[in-house]
Amino acid sequence: MRKRVVVTGMGAVTPLGQSVKELYENQIQGKSGVDFIHNFDATTFPTKFAAELKGFELGRFVKDLSRWKHAGPNARFAAAASMQALQDANALEGTSIDRTRFGVYLGCGEGIQDFPQMSKLIGASYNPENRSIRSDIFIKEAISTFDAPEEYEQEMHTTPGHLAGHFDLEGPNYNCLTACAASSQAIGEATEMIRQGEADMMLSGGSHSMIHPFGITGFNLLTALSQNNANPKKASRPFDLNRDGFVIGEGAGMLVLEELEHARKRGARIYGEITGYGSTADAFRLTDSHEEGRGAIACIKGAVDDSGLPLDAIGYINAHGTSTHVNDFTETLAIKKVFGERAYKIPVSSSKSMVGHLIAAAGAVELITSIMTILNGVIPPTINYETPDPDCDLDYVPNVAREAKVDHVLSNSFGFGGQNVSLIVSRFRD
Amino acid sequence: MSANRRVVITGVGVITSIGMDAAAFWDGLARGACGVRTIKAFDPSPLATRFAGEIDGFDPKKYLSKEGRKQIRVMARSIQLAVASAQLAIDDGKVDKSKLDPTRFGVEYGAGLIPSELTELGEASYLATGKATHPVDVRAWGEKIRETIQPLWMLKYLPNMLACHVSILHDAQGPNNSITESDAASLLALGEATRILRRNQADFFLVGGADSKINPLSQARQQVFGRLSRNNEDPVHALKPFDKRRDGLVIGEGGCTLVTEELEHAQKRGASIVAEVAGFGSSFDRGLTGKGLARAIRFALGQAGITPNDIDHVNAQGLGSPDLDAFEARAINEVFGTAVPVWTIKPNIGHLGAGSGVTELAGSLLAMKHGTLPGTLNYETPDPACPIQVQTKARAIGKPYFVKVGFTEMGQCAAVVCKKW
Repeated sequence: MRKRVVVTGMGAVTPLGQSVKELYENQIQGKSGVDFIHNFDATTFPTKFAAELKGFELGRFVKDLSRWKHAGPNARFAAAASMQALQDANALEGTSIDRTRFGVYLGCGEGIQDFPQMSKLIGASYNPENRSIRSDIFIKEAISTFDAPEEYEQEMHTTPGHLAGHFDLEGPNYNCLTACAASSQAIGEATEMIRQGEADMMLSGGSHSMIHPFGITGFNLLTALSQNNANPKKASRPFDLNRDGFVIGEGAGMLVLEELEHARKRGARIYGEITGYGSTADAFRLTDSHEEGRGAIACIKGAVDDSGLPLDAIGYINAHGTSTHVNDFTETLAIKKVFGERAYKIPVSSSKSMVGHLIAAAGAVELITSIMTILNGVIPPTINYETPDPDCDLDYVPNVAREAKVDHVLSNSFGFGGQNVSLIVSRFRD
Repeated sequence: MSANRRVVITGVGVITSIGMDAAAFWDGLARGACGVRTIKAFDPSPLATRFAGEIDGFDPKKYLSKEGRKQIRVMARSIQLAVASAQLAIDDGKVDKSKLDPTRFGVEYGAGLIPSELTELGEASYLATGKATHPVDVRAWGEKIRETIQPLWMLKYLPNMLACHVSILHDAQGPNNSITESDAASLLALGEATRILRRNQADFFLVGGADSKINPLSQARQQVFGRLSRNNEDPVHALKPFDKRRDGLVIGEGGCTLVTEELEHAQKRGASIVAEVAGFGSSFDRGLTGKGLARAIRFALGQAGITPNDIDHVNAQGLGSPDLDAFEARAINEVFGTAVPVWTIKPNIGHLGAGSGVTELAGSLLAMKHGTLPGTLNYETPDPACPIQVQTKARAIGKPYFVKVGFTEMGQCAAVVCKKW
């Protein structure tokens, strides 16, 4: 028998609440965390709104702030969610846990570049006549302007490194960045590390903010974001006929994953079990998912096979559901291909309708919502669902939460560039 | 259960400043060649460190099909190096792609931060900032982005694009991951790919890492980090790992992709097996005491079922950094004492960042294959703070295993044990 991996702690800071409880309560009430952007003046951007984390203060979660002084939002969000998860799991430093067998696996985004500073440096070294950069000017200015700690915090290993240092987690330490699939992939691979005996416990999840001028620029240029500036709270409308792109969000979700016998021995509270993990690539195009959902289908099947559960066992699907035309169409197609006629009987909802798309952090936060659904027996809705799309004809739990006993949830995450990840989380049974 | 599945390496694709394929790379190592010299890609004169292990005459078109060449415009240099090394690995491994099951074909890369090319943001920045003395006008930027920046701009710089492009070019539909853990990234990727093959989620993998920091923005950042050697008078001798006179890192660029596969899969297709991935370990060394790195090495040895006596040589990270070399040496000493020779190829090619681990590991693979371990360059004056036996002269390979070590300055550590086939 392979080792079983359970969830013994959860933490989240999101646009809909800075604790797991607050997040889930707002989700079952169908609230939206979307509003006009406050992080910077976005009034001239094609998209002027996002789901931002409001009133976040790291000091509320972490006492010793010295390590986080120069850290960017990714690291700070991650620290807050990790503190919640580790407290929840009774797994902070000073407990009897072997710290060398306790690792970190994040799907955390890159640190944020200082937009005013960088655009100023580039602008000052640009020659508009021949449209070229004077690199000597750029280098001189950059060297005299850059603040080493601030530059350093852009590196992608700093967040998992800070968490390991702060919370004394001396086991394996990984960060992956596979766009919108990252934190789901992190959780899947962290689960496998425990199954294969490389660690007893893993702090795993994701953290990301791309609500800054470079991030909005990049996604706007790809025409991936909704531009429904007239009504931001209605902009994220997964599976609705009038969807026009995703709404970017920010935040972090963290879980403590633990080998079952280890959790039992120390009397940990068990929230659920990670039973299935599937991971594939579309290998199709950079900007589009495969038209027939090839990668998504194989990924969902892979997760179900890994769990050993019959297809019928899946009681709820927490969809990737980005509110882009292509994703919602392809994901619906994939669910129908895998589940056949029964697809129409499985409730499918998208957390992104309410919290937006947390990019690398999305999967972890959505897995937490999936676990809360199992524990509380209420499926959060897909809000802003108004006009059915004939191509998206499943039960999307429109607008109102629904009571239902769910034992096994499938959570999908599909990344830009073609990485697909599906996780199955189950009610814990001995 | 799949616990007995074994993982072997059957192809090596490598591009560095001393050689643009595995044969040329080995030839360079065997000759003691050094690719470090004054930077040519841009005018480095304002920098305190003006040299690096830069690749001369790299042309990504050579490694891509007609269809693939269309994508070069959306590939930053790190991505180009990855896709080129992937093609070389496929060639070296004599892989007939038509005979592979695409759904059992995985891809995994270690990737670093990829900075935007400055010219791509030039016009928008200029319009937003006007003259340097003006405050930045983000509204002016927002108005102009669609006219001034190309639509796929962001895709060119996402770290998952190394693995994405490789998966598209080779129809690899299996697991696909991108490890962004700085200098430990590509060894962690190799460890994970091995884990995936062992657990029977794939049969065949392209795994590697690639990184280029030889551009104005990355070099300016490296300078403010303050870890580079400033020996502009003598670039070839600037990087002196474990030597008492060491004074800092030297940046290099390049990439490496390995073909790794499950043993029976390799045997069935008649592959020429280079080595077995026998063990892997990873850890976080809190406070850089050396205990954590030693733990990762011991874990890898344990997984391989061997003792330190079975190791021919340690292929070290060998950054040339005063403090980090001492850290690494403490860990190696803790596990091996001074009995096992330590080799590093950093002085030959510079530090490849996220690509360093697997590229350097390829050096040991080729040494095993050819039966000779070349010496470490630039090591003359032993340092009591680095109590290890640095291999300086070429010698015959004596034992079937080597261990490759990698870590970040924050404390993320990885160790891989390979066995000559």
